[in-house]
Amino acid sequence: MSCVRISFLRTEGFRLSAIYAAAFALSVLAMGAVVMVIVDQAFRDQILQSSRADIAAVQHGYANKGMEEAQEVVEQLMAAPGASDFLLLQRNGKALAGNLPPMPAQAGAVSLERPGHDILGAGAHLAPGIYIFSGSDLSRIHAARKRLIQAMLWLLGAALVLAALGGALVSRSFLRRTDAMASACRAIMDGDMRARIPVRGSGDELDRLAGAINAMLDRISALMENLRQVTSDIAHDLRTPVTHLRSRLERADREGATAAEHRQALQAAIAKTDDILAQFAALLRIAQIEGGERRAGFVAVGLGPLLLHMRELFGAVAEEAGHHLGVVIRQDATIRGDRELLIQLFSNLIENAILHTPAGCRIALTLDVQDGRAIASVRDDGPGVPREEHEKLFRRLYRREASRTRPGYGLGLSLVAAIVELHGAKVEIVELPMPGLCVKLTFPA
Amino acid sequence: MEDDAEMAGHIVHALGQHGHCVDVSHDGEQGLSQAAGGGHAALIVDRMLPKLDGLSLVQALRAGGNRTPVLFLTTLGGLNDRVEGLEAGGDDYLVKPFAFAELIARVNAITRRAMQEGAEPTRLRCADLEMDLIRRTVIRAGKPVELQHQEFRLLEYLLRNAGRVVTRSMLLEHVWDLHFNPRTNIVETHLSRLRSKIDRGHAVELIHTQRGMGYVLRAD
Repeated sequence: MSCVRISFLRTEGFRLSAIYAAAFALSVLAMGAVVMVIVDQAFRDQILQSSRADIAAVQHGYANKGMEEAQEVVEQLMAAPGASDFLLLQRNGKALAGNLPPMPAQAGAVSLERPGHDILGAGAHLAPGIYIFSGSDLSRIHAARKRLIQAMLWLLGAALVLAALGGALVSRSFLRRTDAMASACRAIMDGDMRARIPVRGSGDELDRLAGAINAMLDRISALMENLRQVTSDIAHDLRTPVTHLRSRLERADREGATAAEHRQALQAAIAKTDDILAQFAALLRIAQIEGGERRAGFVAVGLGPLLLHMRELFGAVAEEAGHHLGVVIRQDATIRGDRELLIQLFSNLIENAILHTPAGCRIALTLDVQDGRAIASVRDDGPGVPREEHEKLFRRLYRREASRTRPGYGLGLSLVAAIVELHGAKVEIVELPMPGLCVKLTFPA
Repeated sequence: MEDDAEMAGHIVHALGQHGHCVDVSHDGEQGLSQAAGGGHAALIVDRMLPKLDGLSLVQALRAGGNRTPVLFLTTLGGLNDRVEGLEAGGDDYLVKPFAFAELIARVNAITRRAMQEGAEPTRLRCADLEMDLIRRTVIRAGKPVELQHQEFRLLEYLLRNAGRVVTRSMLLEHVWDLHFNPRTNIVETHLSRLRSKIDRGHAVELIHTQRGMGYVLRAD
């Protein structure tokens, strides 16, 4: 339980709502202070104004009919409901009228401080020695101030409660979602690579974060799957040739009679070892290409010149095998890619066409642009491949029954698929009306 | 410089058989100080060495003005190793595991290249075969020989390494810039075409096949 509370107090939501509540309280206090000052000032102005009006009335009476009239006016004013406090002093300093005790005569605004009875008012000399003061008790101001403060405190309390409630709500939903993330991560650490962080679909920051993490997890599992695949391929596929190699060496050791026989066995073993290593290298290369690190070194590659270069490389080889290798460039295209790997890609396709067709075939490399996409193809007019095998062709280590005795390790087309994938391109086998095989590559625009 | 003692032993033995004298270092720091001491015709540097990796070692050497040719040994499948190695100042690279004939041929090629450095020749010659690198013409026994672009490059490489064995993969890499092992006999085909143009009808054959090793251009 205490653990839960601590984790709640530590959440970003709680911290934010605490900051929010504090800011709200401060602003309520500041506003209250300003209101109080303004109200206070307004009350004081009002008191002084009515005091001055009272004094003016008394002054008027004194000017017209003398001291007695002044005394009369004061008494009248005092009799009115909610009247002010008065003091009228005559020359000898004695109070002539009013409810206040005598005090030093002081003209203008005067504030008198008595215990429990503060008075604000104005004083004036009617004539030398004759002084009139009119003032009001400040207790009304004090009462108003007290009510204001009370209202402010209620407001403050309500604001704090609301902020705390809102904060708790926000942090709880925040906490629930981060907890979901944490538990997904824990599930993955515990070995469930398929666990993913729930996405609410609201598209907020946490959703975006969850989406990014999920995409990263997808990528990591793809890489791991790839690695697992390579490992098991290597284990499966290298075990057989290594076993053969071992038996062969053992047999040579046991039965080989002459030095020439031994030498022959050794040479065969070296050749076999080279085969195994080449296969191993090809598997690793595929895995590395699938890893995608080569993408960082992409440059602009002109496909037209590249295809012409391929013909220069393989034209003679094709001719030796009785084929004809031609290039048709309908429209040149430049893509971003890895030239070395693209050369390997086309080499693989061309070599397949040369090695898997009977003599006398025509092999054509074509290049065109459709909808802004470069489309290259390698086609031959040989016997082709049955439709049901098309999809399997790009599978790792898949070798057609017919080609098992020919050179190659069944990795050529999966290497092609990996290079194609690295370039964001698409590879497919296209059905042709005439016999033959056509491998079509569509590069991204 | 090779940290695998068994591998180092094999390399020393193979180079020794071909008359080379070899110093061995088993880590990068020792290798750097030995190499910086000078007096080597070529350095064979493994990419992965304890204490100081091969790449940094060669960078440090080159930064110090040492121009001794370097052959990098890299592990299987390192796609970017070649480019990185050449950028760091290496002259050639070889992927482990390799045939020793391959190692010997490449060491010979880089030492030879280093000796010729400076004056870039405009003509290459072997017996009565002459290549003009500027006009891009070839003459055998006074008669011009018509070569296609790829054949010209192949012959140029053979002439630059005249008298020394070049392997199939050296040709693939340096003539055709192919960094994988093709399944078709691309090297053999181009070579036999070149051979028919250069050697056919002449008493002395210049292009020879060394079984199990590679090819050599020489006039004996």
